[in-house]
Amino acid sequence: MRIFATYNIKGGVGKTSTAVNLAYLAAREGQRTLLWDLDPQAAATYLFRVRPKVKGGAHGLVTGRRPAESVLKATDFENLDLLPADFSYRNLDLDLDDAKKRTRRLGQLLTGFTADYDVVFLDCPPSISLLSENVLHAADTLLVPLIPAALSLRTFDQLKTFVAESAKPRPEVLAFFSMADRRKRLHREVIEAFDGAAGVATTVIPALSIIEQMAERRAPVPAFAPLSRAALSYEALWAEVRPS
Amino acid sequence: MTRPARAFQGVDEGRLELDAVVGVLADRYTVEAGRPRTVRRRRLDTFDRRLRAAGLTLEHHSEPRARRVVLDGADGPSTDAVTGDLRWPAGAEVLRAGRVRDAVAPVAGIRALLVVSDERHSWRQLDLRDADGKTVVRVELDEPLAVVGGAGRVTVRALRGYDEHARRVDRLLTGLGLRPVEAGLAGLAGMPDGDDLADDVPAPVAADAPATALLAAALSGFLAVMRANLPGVLADIDTEFLHDFRVALRRTRSTLRWGREVLPAEFRSEWEPAFAGLGALTTPVRDLDVYLLGLPAMSGWLVAADATDLDSFGRHLTQRRAIARQEMVDGLRSARFRRLLAGWEGALVTLGGRATGTATGTERSTSAGVLGGRVLARASRKVVRDGAAIGAGSPADDLHRLRGRCKELRYALEVFAPVVDPPPSRRVVADLRGLQDVLGRFQDADVQRRALREFAEEMLTSGVPAAALLAMGELIAHLDAEQGKARREFDQAFTRFVRPSGRAPLHRPGGDT
Repeated sequence: MRIFATYNIKGGVGKTSTAVNLAYLAAREGQRTLLWDLDPQAAATYLFRVRPKVKGGAHGLVTGRRPAESVLKATDFENLDLLPADFSYRNLDLDLDDAKKRTRRLGQLLTGFTADYDVVFLDCPPSISLLSENVLHAADTLLVPLIPAALSLRTFDQLKTFVAESAKPRPEVLAFFSMADRRKRLHREVIEAFDGAAGVATTVIPALSIIEQMAERRAPVPAFAPLSRAALSYEALWAEVRPS
Repeated sequence: MTRPARAFQGVDEGRLELDAVVGVLADRYTVEAGRPRTVRRRRLDTFDRRLRAAGLTLEHHSEPRARRVVLDGADGPSTDAVTGDLRWPAGAEVLRAGRVRDAVAPVAGIRALLVVSDERHSWRQLDLRDADGKTVVRVELDEPLAVVGGAGRVTVRALRGYDEHARRVDRLLTGLGLRPVEAGLAGLAGMPDGDDLADDVPAPVAADAPATALLAAALSGFLAVMRANLPGVLADIDTEFLHDFRVALRRTRSTLRWGREVLPAEFRSEWEPAFAGLGALTTPVRDLDVYLLGLPAMSGWLVAADATDLDSFGRHLTQRRAIARQEMVDGLRSARFRRLLAGWEGALVTLGGRATGTATGTERSTSAGVLGGRVLARASRKVVRDGAAIGAGSPADDLHRLRGRCKELRYALEVFAPVVDPPPSRRVVADLRGLQDVLGRFQDADVQRRALREFAEEMLTSGVPAAALLAMGELIAHLDAEQGKARREFDQAFTRFVRPSGRAPLHRPGGDT
């Protein structure tokens, strides 16, 4: 089972869009895929038309009183299941803090899915928190969407420092440019400056209105616009990161 | 755990009334009906139905714009898109890497996947959505096109986390007059199971029936197995067709020998040599198959050499097999072989008829039970006599002969055990199997070692790299060690076989001891 986490300290950079679209692509090629929406805003849950409600809430999951497999929901797409968000996830840090091995509890919960899924995506909320430490321990790959701007890159540096200073095992960190607008000189310059840089994917996800339409269509882009530029960009990104 | 799919059909197995099904579901859900699709559904399984025995159904679905393989089993359905052109029969390795292949390949093993049924279906999917627009149940309408008034099915597929909706749909369909199809997986819906060519089991023969009736039934069963496997042998679908053909052939030859005292004279003078010739015709290909199948394991024996050093050996075997196979196929397609099969079938019909006449009292003859007792006692005595004569200095040929005796006893047990009273215990069979295993390993190692030398000589003349010959030398050393190990285990295996508690049932009163 390969675990990807879409993560960035900053919000609004395309984490949920990436998690939803890549999870869909993994499932479409036959891999049993789970997306865990860890963000109490529940955007991924909303996109899959699932109610953002987990019986027992974050506390039930973290304490093990509510088995994680009992709250899974099938999406409308074959091979793709969702562990929905719940508003109680805003207190996840508190529940994790009370748990034994508080920085590894998320990984322990995911171990229970090893036989059922080939690929797991964690859609993380924007923060540096105890949940983030859990994600670093649980994930094999941290997918970091970056808007090509100076502040985003500074945030990425902070994130790399955070990962480097965390306890082992540490995930592979792979950044990629997201919401890129090639009409903007700054975007072009930043992308060119990082061309071929280690830890940065070559695929760039453009800023396109069709990606915003996901919220309206409530479906992944490749599902409703499979030949669109956005869909092809996500396919290229998945081809770069997918387990061989 | 999601509830397994559940299939329904009309009480009279008639055509489905789509409007009625949609109507009853639309009262509770928003029904989004997919377009009707004509799907060619080819059920795949091995010749001996390994997938079915493992509770799996594998289908290759083809539509104008989509092709996929669908696997159904206890863990629910798995689907994988098909890329490229899959042609059957083929091994499971042609499936794309993923969940379907991971589940199918270990079950199919070295057997090829064949098309066991091929039908066109009209297929339509209904997504049932709740108030949020979320699909909570999937319903599939499936009707075979070729069968007039064929039994259409409605399959309810629960989605994880929404089981209660699937149960509700079950109730709605039941209320409509549909009945659940209890037997088999929902994936079997509307699909015939194909011919069970591999399942020819002769009817049991009573102990007091004439021995010729038992022999006719057994020999007819072996002939059916040979006939069933012959097309697979000729088409070279997988190596097991020839293996099973030859097992039936060896059983035939063994049964002819054990039945000499009651069979007509021409069975010995005419048919025994004919089947010996058939054995000789098919042996070279089978031997080469064994080497080729064993190559991956042989690679694992190498210590100093690299697995790739055996590539030229593999190519040599493949070339040799192609030549041997052509000779075998020529023989199996010949008029002589066709006459053999037809003549043998006729001889068995005559033998069966004669046995029936005997059963009605027109002729006095040996009963199956009496012959069985004599045969098992004689076969067992030969194993004991030859085994006891083997000492530390016995040549390998003595152990080879003993292996042949054990095989004869094993085949005799398969034919005659059901008609002797009391039947041989499981311990006898287990001890015999243990002895055969040791002797088999001894002989295989000996024969393979000699064959490797012979192959090396042949390859030397064709300028093969030295690395290949050195690797083959390592294999010979490994086989030598294996043969020694098997030889050391022989005494214990033989002692276990001849212990009185195990062998006693083979020496019952009335047996020819």
